[in-house]
Amino acid sequence: MGRKLEAYEGIVGTAVIRQLRQLGEKLAGKRVVHVNSTREGGGVAEILGWMVPLMEDLGLNAHWEVITGSGDFFSVTKSIHNGLQGFPVTISSAGWQTYQDVNAVNFERLRSLLEDADVVIIHDPQPAPLLNLCSDRKGKWIWRGHIDISHPFRPTWKTLKNFVVGYDASIFSMCQFALPLPHPQFLIAPSIDPLSDKNCDLGASELEEARARFGLDPYRPLVVQISRFDRFKDPIGVIEAYRLVRRVSPIQLILAGGGATDDPEGKAMLDDVLEAAAGDPDIHVLLLPPDDHRTINALQRLADVVIQKSTREGFGLTVTEGLWKGKPVIGGDVGGIRSQVVNYHTGFLVNTPEGAAHRIRFLLHHAELRNSMGIKAREYVREHFLLTRHLREYLTLFHHLLSKREEKMFYV
Amino acid sequence: MKPFHVSDCTLLTNMSGLPAAVNLRELRDRLAICSADVLYHHFCETPLVPFFDNPDYRNDFAVWSKLHLSDRVLAERLGVIDPYLAADIEILRSQVLDIIDERLSEVQVVPTALPGSEFYFLEATTVVFDTGNVIEHPTGLRNAILNMTNSSIYFHFLEAKRRPPVCIDDFSAWLADWGNDFESYIQALQSIDFMFLTLAELKNELAAVVAMQGE
Repeated sequence: MGRKLEAYEGIVGTAVIRQLRQLGEKLAGKRVVHVNSTREGGGVAEILGWMVPLMEDLGLNAHWEVITGSGDFFSVTKSIHNGLQGFPVTISSAGWQTYQDVNAVNFERLRSLLEDADVVIIHDPQPAPLLNLCSDRKGKWIWRGHIDISHPFRPTWKTLKNFVVGYDASIFSMCQFALPLPHPQFLIAPSIDPLSDKNCDLGASELEEARARFGLDPYRPLVVQISRFDRFKDPIGVIEAYRLVRRVSPIQLILAGGGATDDPEGKAMLDDVLEAAAGDPDIHVLLLPPDDHRTINALQRLADVVIQKSTREGFGLTVTEGLWKGKPVIGGDVGGIRSQVVNYHTGFLVNTPEGAAHRIRFLLHHAELRNSMGIKAREYVREHFLLTRHLREYLTLFHHLLSKREEKMFYV
Repeated sequence: MKPFHVSDCTLLTNMSGLPAAVNLRELRDRLAICSADVLYHHFCETPLVPFFDNPDYRNDFAVWSKLHLSDRVLAERLGVIDPYLAADIEILRSQVLDIIDERLSEVQVVPTALPGSEFYFLEATTVVFDTGNVIEHPTGLRNAILNMTNSSIYFHFLEAKRRPPVCIDDFSAWLADWGNDFESYIQALQSIDFMFLTLAELKNELAAVVAMQGE
C-alpha cells in the first residue's frame, strides 16, 4: 500500500490536499488504467509508482500495467524513441510489424481491463498501438507523450502518427513538444514525489556513509550528473566540461545512473563513458541498481553543483530532483529543462561543454549566490513541480473528458 | 445577507489547435481567427503562469514582441493594452489587430523569431474549488483576503470580471449587497491599478485598502 495523500500536507498545505479530495469524490470508482513499458528505471515508471497508489487513495479504481516484449521489440521502440527526438533511424517494415505484433500479444492479456476502463492513459510510443486494437473500448483514451517530439525524424513520426491520431486526447509536458494532432492536446508538466526515497530528507550520517562508500574527498567540490547512460544525456560532454574545469579547479565528477529494461543501448553508452573516463580517479562512473534511490538522493545532496547537460530532453526529472535539494542546476538548453532552469534564479542553461564548464566555475566561485539560488530553486519546485499539482491536473483532465462538457469553466 | 464563499481555482491548459507563429504576420493572421479563449488566456490568465522576473508587460503578445521579435516599439504599444477596459473580447481583438497592422505598415522587414522561439497559441479551462471558507461579514474581509491563496485572489478579483455581473470583482459584488454601508470599500477596491501587481502584491494591496476603509 502506498503513502496516503495526507502525508504531503506538511509540504504542500491543507488547501491542496482538500482540492484533491474534492476531485477524488467526483471521480470515485472510475476505472483508470495506465500502460507503459517498464516497471522500473526512468521518469515514467517513477511517476506511476506514486501516482497510481495516490489515485487509489482518492477513491479511483486505478491500475498500472506494463507491456512486455522481446529484445527485438525494445530495439524497435528505442529506435522509435530516438527517431521521435530527431535522430535519423531506420526502422524496417519487419520492425514495425514486430512493434504491432508484440502490442497485439499484450492486448490479449489486457483486453478486459482496457475495454472496461473509463480512462486509459498510454505512456510514450511503446504501447501506442493498443488503441487501434481495442475496438470495443468504452472509455476515454489519452496518449501521454513524455518526450520532446517537436522535431522528429519525419519517417518515424509519419508511421507512428497512425497509432496516435485516434486517441481522444493527448498530453505533453510543454507546448513546444507537441505536433499537430486531430484531438485536444493538454499541457501537464511532470513532477517528483518529495517523500520518496529519492527525494526525502537524509541524515548527515547517511550522506557521510555515501561519501565514504564512493571514496569522495570532502574538501574538493563535487559535480554530479544523475541520468541513464543515453546519448541524449551527453555524459561525454559532461566529462569534457569537467576536464575544462579541472585545469583550474580540483573538482570531482560523478556520472551515475541505472539502466532501464526498455533501453538496449544503455550498455554501449556506458562502455563509451567508461572509456572516456579511464585513468582519471576523480571521475566516478556508477551504474546503480534501479531501486538504489537513496544513493542517488545522497549523491545529489552531496553535490556542490548538479548538472544535466542533455542535448534532448523530455522534461528532465533529475533537474527537478536537484532543484528540490536546494542545488542550482546547470542544464542543457533544451526541452523541459528550459521551464525549470532560469538563469541566475535556479541555475544556468548551457549549450556546449565549454558553456557548462564556464557555469560550473562561476557557481563554485560564488558560494553565497549558489546558496540563494538553491533556496529559490526548492521553492520553485514546491510551487510547480510536486506530485500534488501533477495529480490535480490529471484528475481535472479526467473530469473534463468524462463530463463531455465544452465549458471553459467548471466547479468541482 | 449571504456570506461570501471563498473559492480557489486552477487552470487546465491546452493547445488551441492553431499552428505556432514564427513572425509578426503569422501572429496577426492567427489572432484574427483564434477563439476568444486564446485571447483571454494570453491577456488575462498570465498572472497564474510561473515567472521570476517581473515582466515589463502583462500580456504574452507584448512579451513575445520584445523578447523574440526584438520589436520594442510593438511591445510598448501592445503592452499598454488593458484587457479589462475593453467592453468585450472582440473589441480587444480589433484593438490588437489595429496595432499589429499599423506596425506591419511601418517596418521594412517582417519581424521574425528564431527557431525555438515561436509563439504558441494556448487556452485554458478554469477549474473552481470550494475552499469551505466563508466570510460572514465585511469586517472579516481583510483577514480573509490575507489568508487566501494567490489563485483565490485571481479568481475573485480578476477572473470575476468576465463572469456576470461583468466587469465587477466578487468582493465588490458581495459588498454591494450590504447597502451603502460599504460603498467606500467598493470604491477603494475598484480604484486599485492592478496591472503591474503580482497576485501576491495584489493580495496585500486588497487587504490594505479594505483595512483603510475600516479604520
